[in-house]
Amino acid sequence: MSTIETDSEVATRLEFEQEQRSEGWKLLRAMLKVQRRNLLIGGLIGILWASFKVMVPQMTKYAINDGIEKDGPLLRWAVIIGLLGVLTGVLSGMRRYVAFRESRWAETLFRERLFRHVIGLHVGYHDTAQTGQLMSRASSDLMQIQGFIVMIPITLSNVLQIFAVTAILFITDPVLAVVALIPLPFVNLSARRFSHRIHPASIAVQAEQAQLANVVEESVSGIRVIKGFGAEQVQFEKLEREADDILRESMKAARIRSSFLPAIDVLPALGLVAVLGVGGHRVLNGQLSIGDLVAFNVYLTLLIWPLRNIGMIVALGQRAAAALVRINEVLETESEITDPAKPQSLPTGGSQTLGAVKFDHVQFGYNPSFPVLSNFNLSIAAGESIAIVGATGSGKSTIARLLLRFYDTNVGHVFLDGVDVRKLRLRELRQQIGVVFEETVLFNDSVANNIGFARPGASQQDLERAAKLAGAHDFILQLPNGYQTIIGERGFSLSGGQRQRIAIARAIIADPRVLVLDDATSAVDPSKESEIRDAMRTVMSGRTTIVIAHRPGTIALADRVVFLDGGTIAAIGKHEELVSSNERYREVLASMEHNAEEES
Amino acid sequence: MWSSGGVSDEDRLSRAQAKTIVGRVFKMAAPFRKTMWMAFACVCVTTVCALAGPVLVKHGIDAGIRANDVGELNLSVAIYLLVAFLAYVFGRMQFLYLNRTGESFLRVLRLAVFRQMQRQSMAFYDRNKAGVLVARMTADIESMAELVQWGLLQFIAAGMLLVFAFFVLLTLSWQLTIVALLVMPLLIAASIKFQHDSNKAYLMVRERVGANLSALQEGITTVRVIQAYAQEKETIEKFTKSNRELFQSHERSVRISTWYFALIEFGGVFASALMIGIGGWLVHRGDVTLGTVVAFTLLLSSLFDPVQQLSQLYNTVQSAGAALNKLFQILDAKPEVDEHPAAVMLPEAGELRVDGVTFNYAAAVNPALNNVSITVVVGEKLALVGPTGAGKSTLAKLMARLYDPQSGVVSYGGVNLTMATMDSLRKRIVVVPQEGFLFNGTIRDNLRIARSDATDEQIDAAVAAIGATEHFATLPDGLDTEVRERGSRLSAGERQLVALARAALVDPRVLVLDEATSNLDPGTEAEVEQALERLMSGRTVIVVAHRLSTVQRADHIAVIDAAGIAEYGTHEQLVALNGRYGALAAAWQKSQIVN
Ligand SMILES: Nc1ncnc2c1ncn2[C@@H]1O[C@H](COP(=O)(O)OP(=O)(O)O)[C@@H](O)[C@H]1O
Ligand SMILES: Nc1ncnc2c1ncn2[C@@H]1O[C@H](COP(=O)(O)OP(=O)(O)O)[C@@H](O)[C@H]1O
Ligand SMILES: [Mg+2]
Ligand SMILES: [Mg+2]
Repeated sequence: MSTIETDSEVATRLEFEQEQRSEGWKLLRAMLKVQRRNLLIGGLIGILWASFKVMVPQMTKYAINDGIEKDGPLLRWAVIIGLLGVLTGVLSGMRRYVAFRESRWAETLFRERLFRHVIGLHVGYHDTAQTGQLMSRASSDLMQIQGFIVMIPITLSNVLQIFAVTAILFITDPVLAVVALIPLPFVNLSARRFSHRIHPASIAVQAEQAQLANVVEESVSGIRVIKGFGAEQVQFEKLEREADDILRESMKAARIRSSFLPAIDVLPALGLVAVLGVGGHRVLNGQLSIGDLVAFNVYLTLLIWPLRNIGMIVALGQRAAAALVRINEVLETESEITDPAKPQSLPTGGSQTLGAVKFDHVQFGYNPSFPVLSNFNLSIAAGESIAIVGATGSGKSTIARLLLRFYDTNVGHVFLDGVDVRKLRLRELRQQIGVVFEETVLFNDSVANNIGFARPGASQQDLERAAKLAGAHDFILQLPNGYQTIIGERGFSLSGGQRQRIAIARAIIADPRVLVLDDATSAVDPSKESEIRDAMRTVMSGRTTIVIAHRPGTIALADRVVFLDGGTIAAIGKHEELVSSNERYREVLASMEHNAEEES
Repeated sequence: MWSSGGVSDEDRLSRAQAKTIVGRVFKMAAPFRKTMWMAFACVCVTTVCALAGPVLVKHGIDAGIRANDVGELNLSVAIYLLVAFLAYVFGRMQFLYLNRTGESFLRVLRLAVFRQMQRQSMAFYDRNKAGVLVARMTADIESMAELVQWGLLQFIAAGMLLVFAFFVLLTLSWQLTIVALLVMPLLIAASIKFQHDSNKAYLMVRERVGANLSALQEGITTVRVIQAYAQEKETIEKFTKSNRELFQSHERSVRISTWYFALIEFGGVFASALMIGIGGWLVHRGDVTLGTVVAFTLLLSSLFDPVQQLSQLYNTVQSAGAALNKLFQILDAKPEVDEHPAAVMLPEAGELRVDGVTFNYAAAVNPALNNVSITVVVGEKLALVGPTGAGKSTLAKLMARLYDPQSGVVSYGGVNLTMATMDSLRKRIVVVPQEGFLFNGTIRDNLRIARSDATDEQIDAAVAAIGATEHFATLPDGLDTEVRERGSRLSAGERQLVALARAALVDPRVLVLDEATSNLDPGTEAEVEQALERLMSGRTVIVVAHRLSTVQRADHIAVIDAAGIAEYGTHEQLVALNGRYGALAAAWQKSQIVN
């Protein structure tokens, strides 16, 4: 869903764009430099095209003066004009091709750069960034830039065309040239003002359309409420308001069009009138030939499009510049979590088990002034499994995020096999940690590709082994295309428990040193969970495992239970010990179990 | 730029369909038919003006300059000036009239489609995906906006220009007209091929743009998983592949337009060459005048441009036709649950009776309810319990006539619900859905969903009735707090309170509740529970229950299973029976003890 802008927001945004234009122009120039060569080729082709194009009326003039009026070699002139037709045709095609290809290529590369950058930005950035905003950077903003670049070769040839035509007109008959050209600068001026004024108007229309879309969207998703209360009329009135708004804004835009476009169309005709009137008299007085008069007519029509285009390109450029500023804002954001300058590597111990995790005096808050964890100390031996229990919001998931180095601690260190996670290459660290997140995120892809995500090219055997361990193999075989079934938002829809089991398989196949299961079986049917539990034992044996859970059966899988309360470890021990000794532990467990019951 | 619409083969309209659609469009446009005709008249005038220019130039040259007649020359100039002025004035009017017609039509279309969508019963919403319905109201209608803003104008103007230009040329000189038409076959063949190829290329581009955007969005929304598994490189490679594919499809469509426009450009100049060559020869023979040849070279573009424009607009018009066709399908869909012409008001109070009701969802094989009968007397509280999928919610929905049963009768106070006015039905029987669904706007706006004419006092009273006054007062703007998209500003518990306050505002005789199953924090939980309690007191209540506490408060309990009503009675009776309910109650009891 696109973000909705109110009218005032649109106004402030446009103002803001204005301010940033100068910066945008600078960026635009820098960007064009990269593409200089091909754009120049395009421009060159355009200039050639314009030269030939300009010759056509000249030849027509000779043909009329020499061929028709004077019985000259008519056929020769006709053939020359025909040949010019071939040349201009081929050149205009080439110009068009170069312009479009070049602009699309720029757009393509830019989008890749943007994607690469965004995917690499730290999680903290993504916590606050809005998907819709990022999407429009990579789509509509890039479109603005593409729309500008495509105009560059055409503009170059247009400029030449205008100069050449003007020069020819002045050489032919300076007096007539002055008269004929008077209305034409106004074409350019009107085109420019038009582009400026129509842009905010069409944005306003889009904003209203988005508001209407919102009403429709909520009316469709909230249809049960609407039917239940018979609120059809209320929603209809909302929609009517928005439809009226659209009509109003569209008519505003139409009024802008109506005050510019017909003028832009008619102004050149004034030049033609002048040519006929003034030029006609000059022919009668013997100051001009008829052929020249006709050529004048044709030349004037040759000026119309270039003048219009040049008028528009200024506005297009400004929009592109503004878009570039917005894109640049993203590109300039630097990732706060990066590979260290001098990375260390993880120990690879032959026979001994790996995967020791240590949190050493860790303090962390998403906002540093409100720590979620403070003075958090926890050592997990390699191969050990621990359960983390705590109330909602106590910071359980945060522990997993710190281990992955999604965020850096404010104080203290996190170690994997004795190495500070900040001293490791991100890829190396993260390959050794398999997390099954609380919220199951699957890709719009086949089951096989989802499970094999962390190990592209994994064999079918490996996939099946992981799926079996996660208790997913059986239901996957039941799917319409087995492992090749497309799942995800736009594919076959799975139940919450099934989704979680695929996510578990995805973590297993990565064969990490540390496995973190963040409430990974919460949506799995309790009867199925016991099945998975058996499989989990196999996976966990000999592997460091952190299980965030609230069901006693799952907690029991762990060697030790860490009870998190008040941002720090309140107790550590066996489940039974904690149940019997710690009142608060019992409370938290009960409340979470209660919530979960209600969910199912 | 070039053609922007596109239509796939299955969407392409047949001739008969196109005819009906045009007919219906005219019918819908009836209220602004006058504007439409004005627009048409303006288009006629501007088209004539466009053609008059070259003719006047011809006249000026032949009758004025070559005949050495200053008077004729001046006359031509004067008329030309007048024509330019008219072209400007009518050009402006044409824009305004056409846009007004078009935009008014879109507005009427929006309102009609939306009204019809709202009239549809729940079954319609089961059948149609939400995304598709939204797309009908937005993308499909907006796809016509372009046509309305300039496409239609161009389409009409181009068509008229073509016809007019042909006649003007013919009256000037039939010989030269033949010359001008020599290039036409090439132009038309190229245009048809281009129209066909560019349509295909456009569909391909559209598909790949879609795929690219999805890849982009997926990348952004799944970034945590991508980073957690260190798959940035692989993901970027995959995206790059989709991005390059998009580029290729763009490139292909550019190539198609490249040869076409090259050909058009060549055709135009080539036609001038023919005109000069053959025309000059005809001048020598004395068959035509020089002025005519000049007029023809100027008019050639009036003949060629429209052909080109028409072929490019063809796709746009086709896709608009396809969109209209889908919209008319919605307009034609008959609502399954609708008010009977002879509907009567429901009595103030009465018992709610379900009598031998069988109901089958359209998509389902087995009926969700099979010959179910149950009666709820005035003021009674009935709890429906049973396994998931047994049909509890379905029964509740039938009691509020969100669906009509295939056989059997649901009645209130002796009146069959299918014979009740919708208005009285929604006032007597109110369904409170599980999760509080909120609309954009303030909390007050959200309450007015239940009763659009409610005064602020009535709203305050409703909030007070469920005991939530204090809670909402703690929000920054109280009841005037904007809830944001889907009520994201409020907590789940607060959303449920709003849902309950809505029901209180209607003050119905019968409440149908689908008990919320989402988890709330214990504090809010208690608040919601209390609100519910207050709301239920003094009303007939049918509740789909998930909690022991709710069931214990009910007067009667119906245990629903696949076979229908398996057990019916009071809590004590059913516990004593020690059947399905006994087992369920025991399980509940156990989890309560954990608590
Ligand atoms: N991305 C985030 N930005 C800001 N605050 C967050 C973010 N994620 C979690 N929090 C807050 O940090 C606290 C701990 O969250 P979390 O670790 O997810 O808890 P748990 O997993 O124990 O439920 C909570 O108060 C939560 O609201
Ligand atoms: N909108 C629907 N369209 C098709 N089938 C439905 C729809 N809603 C429910 N069903 C099916 O009807 C049966 C009864 O559903 P429901 O009344 O929701 O059961 P309960 O409320 O007891 O869980 C189930 O098999 C369910 O899948
Ligand atoms: Mg609005
Ligand atoms: Mg968590």
